[in-house]
Amino acid sequence: MSVTDKTGTFARLGDPPRMTQSARRQLLLTVMPIVVLAALVAAIAVANPNFLRPASIWTALDSAVPLMILASGAMLVILCGGIDLSVAALASMASVLVALWIPALGGWAVILVVLVCALAGMLQGVVHVVAQIPSFLVTLGGLAVWSGIALVASGASTIGVSGTTLDWAFTRLTDWRIPSAVLIAAGLVIVFALVLQLTPVRRWLISIGSSEPAALLAGVPVAQTKIAAFVVSGACAGFAGVMLVGRTFSGAPTLADSLLLPVVAAIVVGGTAITGGFGGIGRTVIGVLIITVLRVGLSVAGVDPSYEQIFYGVLVIAAVALTIDRSKLPFVK
Amino acid sequence: MSVEKQIEDAASAPVLAVHDLRKKFAETTALDGVSFEVRPHEVVGLIGENGAGKSTLLKMLVGLAQPDSGSIELRGKRVKMRGIAQAGAAGIGMVFQEQSLIPNLTVAENILFGAEGAAVVGGVYRWKELRRRAQVQLDKIGSKIKIDAITEELTFAERQLVEVAKVLATEERTNAEPVVLLDEPTSVLDRDETEVLFAQIERLRTRASVVFVSHRLDEVLRVSDRVYVLRNGKTVAECVPGDVDEAALRRMMIGRDLEGSHYGEEDQLPVREEVRLSVRGLSIKGVCEDIDLDVHVGEILGIAGVQGSGREELCRGIFGALATRGSMTLDGRPIKPGSPRTAISADIGFVPAERRREGMVGSMSVAENITLPHIGEVCAGPVLQRGKERRLADEWIERLSIRTPSASAPLGSLSGGNQQKAVLARWMVSDSLKLLILDHPTRGLDVGAKSEVYRLIRELTASGVSVLLMADSLEELIAMSHRVLVMKDGRVTDVIDARAGDKPAPVTVLERMI
Repeated sequence: MSVTDKTGTFARLGDPPRMTQSARRQLLLTVMPIVVLAALVAAIAVANPNFLRPASIWTALDSAVPLMILASGAMLVILCGGIDLSVAALASMASVLVALWIPALGGWAVILVVLVCALAGMLQGVVHVVAQIPSFLVTLGGLAVWSGIALVASGASTIGVSGTTLDWAFTRLTDWRIPSAVLIAAGLVIVFALVLQLTPVRRWLISIGSSEPAALLAGVPVAQTKIAAFVVSGACAGFAGVMLVGRTFSGAPTLADSLLLPVVAAIVVGGTAITGGFGGIGRTVIGVLIITVLRVGLSVAGVDPSYEQIFYGVLVIAAVALTIDRSKLPFVK
Repeated sequence: MSVEKQIEDAASAPVLAVHDLRKKFAETTALDGVSFEVRPHEVVGLIGENGAGKSTLLKMLVGLAQPDSGSIELRGKRVKMRGIAQAGAAGIGMVFQEQSLIPNLTVAENILFGAEGAAVVGGVYRWKELRRRAQVQLDKIGSKIKIDAITEELTFAERQLVEVAKVLATEERTNAEPVVLLDEPTSVLDRDETEVLFAQIERLRTRASVVFVSHRLDEVLRVSDRVYVLRNGKTVAECVPGDVDEAALRRMMIGRDLEGSHYGEEDQLPVREEVRLSVRGLSIKGVCEDIDLDVHVGEILGIAGVQGSGREELCRGIFGALATRGSMTLDGRPIKPGSPRTAISADIGFVPAERRREGMVGSMSVAENITLPHIGEVCAGPVLQRGKERRLADEWIERLSIRTPSASAPLGSLSGGNQQKAVLARWMVSDSLKLLILDHPTRGLDVGAKSEVYRLIRELTASGVSVLLMADSLEELIAMSHRVLVMKDGRVTDVIDARAGDKPAPVTVLERMI
């Protein structure tokens, strides 16, 4: 069956049922994450009614900010059919660099670090596009390189940050005590949404993710779009690193490393296809909320945080297993 | 018993008899009563438009689909096929259009794949026995293919013969002559290879029955003893090649007369003086060398050549999808397309042969596919104007009568012909389109959809667009083109005039191709 299925010989007659199947998959990808989120919130609210108080909600949202920023950028790469495994390592490197540079540069250190990380992303993108190396490999190598740089630069230790330079990243505003980080993340999400909704960028990302040869022959700027996705992903990683320093008052070479799996989990659980060509920022917001509520829920349920990674690992595999469009893959490697 | 008597007996009892097969997929009726018979040593042709039910029927014969009702009888016994392996064991084998061999195994391994028998002992190959058994199969078709060759190093035609040998290997297991199903076997063969295949079919019929499925009516008429015509999931006719011609078959396939001539030759206008595209000394490393060509305003320049002649690459080079050396001018101005994007901004369009893979993004809507190459035209600054896009898409859906539920339906959900019209529309939306490169624009389309594509090409050229055309058949190429450029081994061997009313014979073009 596997032999004949991919040939297209029979694809013609498979078409009518497959369309309803793909429509069903799209519905599943859209409705399921929202249902899951609502169910999780309801379950926690039952276990601990305090969770629905504004103070707990703001705290939960605040804790989701680094994940949200990382996932927004990484989602772009996944949308065009690649993957960026370096985001967490890059954020760790950013935390070290910003902690090292703040004493000398003050607030400029933030801008410089984001630029450096954007450049790191661009480097990965260019290597991927020009040398035609699979993105998972380039960014897996990148992961090691950025981790190494962070270790060397920090002398393998935590670097404390004193002073008020990063206060804006971790403070509460107005009488409502809204975390500043949540507003910043919301602003970033809105910018993403506007760019994706209003400009042709989303078309380009999706056409590349669905069918790169077709995108190329339709004049889509394939190389530029892919590299740009990596640049934005890198910049987001850098900014997420800065935000982490804002709340821990220190930079460390492994500060953000444990976020890699939650980032991928958030993106796929939100309904963005791991194979590319389907997804968006709204889905990623839902995915990040699911991961966050799950984490809060586990702690409410009294589960040791050490178990978290196990949950994320299973979750990624389960979410992909449920949603992947196998008809797009000639075979799974 | 006399030999004649034996043959007579055999002739009266069909090897394979299919009776009133029906099948529904969700809303679509794929088969609506198909019946046919295959007698011993007979070659039966099976023709029908896309969607007529040929593929479903073949799928059922090898157990990849189950009929809702009806029966399949093999040598007088009713059978229910549950998969390719079971069908093979019963003596029905299929040679797949896209081939099912494993590329990195040897020919011998592939021929006996899954049926190694005594050639495997305790899970270990006995290579000598394997080779001997495989050689027996290749000898049946008199093939000189080396038994130890790695399959992927063979030509497509050779691999097809390996598939035939693989099917013949069922003979020993069933102690009966097999039924060989050939699904569009000539679709990717050039003329020489097709001749070889036909010779093989003649050989094959001495020890098997053959079902030959093809959309090339001339071939079906040539090789078949009898032809069944499928239309809308029904067998509508059974005929003997001597009694019918291609036109009659085509009529039976579509159930009506085509209006006007198929290729619209009467609409072919004389070529204008002005040169649109001029190519000088164009070379692509390892593919073609020193190509000169001119295309005039409103002209269709057909490019003929066998596989490997470099014509596909030449067209991709002109579109900037392959690196080239040499010079090009468009309307007198030098151009240097380094990428499809720059070619598109120079008002060149390209319709690739592999529509589903390269021509369109199936998951994107009809409208999004239509506007993708010229997305700037529906943008104000960086902002998409969705209303404008929608109106443009609706306009072209109307003009080309693209059958779609709406402009926002995924293009992948449309039929092949309607998909192709949308792919053409994406280039036609640009008023400034100068040159359109068409790589097999009617591949995989049924007869009706082909006519519509021909008509659109005629309309385009009437409005001054120039066309570079590569076609599925020489007949189509000559009928559509003003001139035919013939390529062989990466060089231009001839340019043959093909103006309306004075078309060359296909053989004239063919002689320069090979």
